[in-house]
Amino acid sequence: MKIAVCAKQIPDPANEVTYSNGTIERPEEQVLDDTDRYGIEVALQLKEKFDAEVTIISMGPSGTQKGLQQALQMGADKAVFVDDESLKGANSLMTANVLSELAKSLSADIVIFGTESTDGYSGTVPQQVSRYLDLECISYVKAVEINDNVTLTRQTVEGSEKLNMPEKCVISVTAGGVEPRYPNFKDIMAAKSKPIEQVSISDLTINTTQNLEFIDIETVENSKSGEKITDEGEAYQEIVNKLKELKVI
Amino acid sequence: MKTLIIGEIINNNLSSGTLEILGKAKSLDLDVQVVTVGSDENPSIGVDLCKQTYLKRQNNSLNLSKAATKISEIIKNEEINLILGSSTYMCRDLISFLSVDLNSSPVSNVVDFDVASGNVSTVNSINGGESLYKTKINSDQALLLIRPKAFDPVEVNFNDDFETIDLDGSDLEVFDIFIEEKSGPQLEDSKVVISAGRGMVDKENLELIETLASKLNAAIGGTRAIVDAGWMPYSQQVGQTGKTVKPDVYIACGISGATQHQVGMKDSKFVIAINKDEEAPIFQLADLGIVGDTLSVIPKLNDNI
Repeated sequence: MKIAVCAKQIPDPANEVTYSNGTIERPEEQVLDDTDRYGIEVALQLKEKFDAEVTIISMGPSGTQKGLQQALQMGADKAVFVDDESLKGANSLMTANVLSELAKSLSADIVIFGTESTDGYSGTVPQQVSRYLDLECISYVKAVEINDNVTLTRQTVEGSEKLNMPEKCVISVTAGGVEPRYPNFKDIMAAKSKPIEQVSISDLTINTTQNLEFIDIETVENSKSGEKITDEGEAYQEIVNKLKELKVI
Repeated sequence: MKTLIIGEIINNNLSSGTLEILGKAKSLDLDVQVVTVGSDENPSIGVDLCKQTYLKRQNNSLNLSKAATKISEIIKNEEINLILGSSTYMCRDLISFLSVDLNSSPVSNVVDFDVASGNVSTVNSINGGESLYKTKINSDQALLLIRPKAFDPVEVNFNDDFETIDLDGSDLEVFDIFIEEKSGPQLEDSKVVISAGRGMVDKENLELIETLASKLNAAIGGTRAIVDAGWMPYSQQVGQTGKTVKPDVYIACGISGATQHQVGMKDSKFVIAINKDEEAPIFQLADLGIVGDTLSVIPKLNDNI
């Protein structure tokens, strides 16, 4: 079984996101998007049961490759990435086009994603990749049971439903779906010798265009500067009064 | 502009998200039709405002990709230029599939759009709602995923006048379909919402919130942190990856107010926040902020309401 897992390098979420001409500014050192850890965890659990090969696929400025290293430290076997100036500010469809080409080049049977990246959160790439690959997409997976069969539980608007994972498909895993593992010192050292390969965009078939034109970014003033009271035992009374005033009680 | 709205069914009628988009489409005077995807046997989803087509799925198979293929056909046959769907699980899947078929990247998290002089332009929320990102769409077809509560819903009378197209199933069989029991007020339409965060310390303390909610006839929500921790089902998550709420009163209990949470509640009319940490970002959104231990404030509220 060959598994491709998408991992995105993002600016450290502890810092404020900044934009330049409509595109997120990316420092040299980016980290693994925590959202992707759930997908990687599912891939590693499948690997333990079915002896699969797990390859990280990624697109974007590679920089120090810290985020890719973090993905390998969790236990993935290798990583391939595309980093090209022409992809700067790529829309979700172009991103999916590139990632599906990478999955194809690996002959991946199963392609796994988180549901949406922390920095861009368009939340459409896994489904787009499945369409490019002409595979079914099992989206919003929130639980995985691995026996001889693999049973996936999907989140739906009304509750949930289960499916048996087919031999080939695309999966997106919700945050909290599984418990991502923490690498130990040995894992961290082992990751250093794992291969990371850059793929040239000229080796891929990309037919998408930038149909979305950036116009402007506006900052929203959210601050309400309401009343702030320190509780010394009686602050609940302020809430009761307010709820009465608002005719809630 | 010829427009197709992807409709969704909730409680045998069109969802509030669908009606919100229909409201906006009508206000822009778009030439609109609705294609609703669902598996209900006899829904009442016809609307007197426009044409309605029902793509009926089989609920025992995952065949959304087949639904998308049918919608692609309709878009091409009817020369549709604008495709709108709500940011729900189903529409996210469908719009994503369509974007590949039409070779047009969608815009997600749309909170406003316009169609001046034949061009579609969008405003979408980024950084958890801290900024608005404006885009012009240059492809023949524009695909928009619209955040719930961005627009006012249209008033409609539902009827049974619509065409039904039965979709084939797929090889992917679905089983153990679980429908969460919905008791009490629901997050989407409740006038009062009480949400819990890490500051509630322990799952057992949610009983305090439940007591208060029953006194105020409020729906209960939670942050991603406590949903991830298994204290509450995902359907009760408020925020970027969960529900968007817009109640008259929002009571945030032990919530620090990460931007991902703010985007789901910042349009609430009156926000009451209780948090130990004086510097918690939630206080910037609060009309009434109580700096204190939510575990000592809520019991007193429960005793005095």
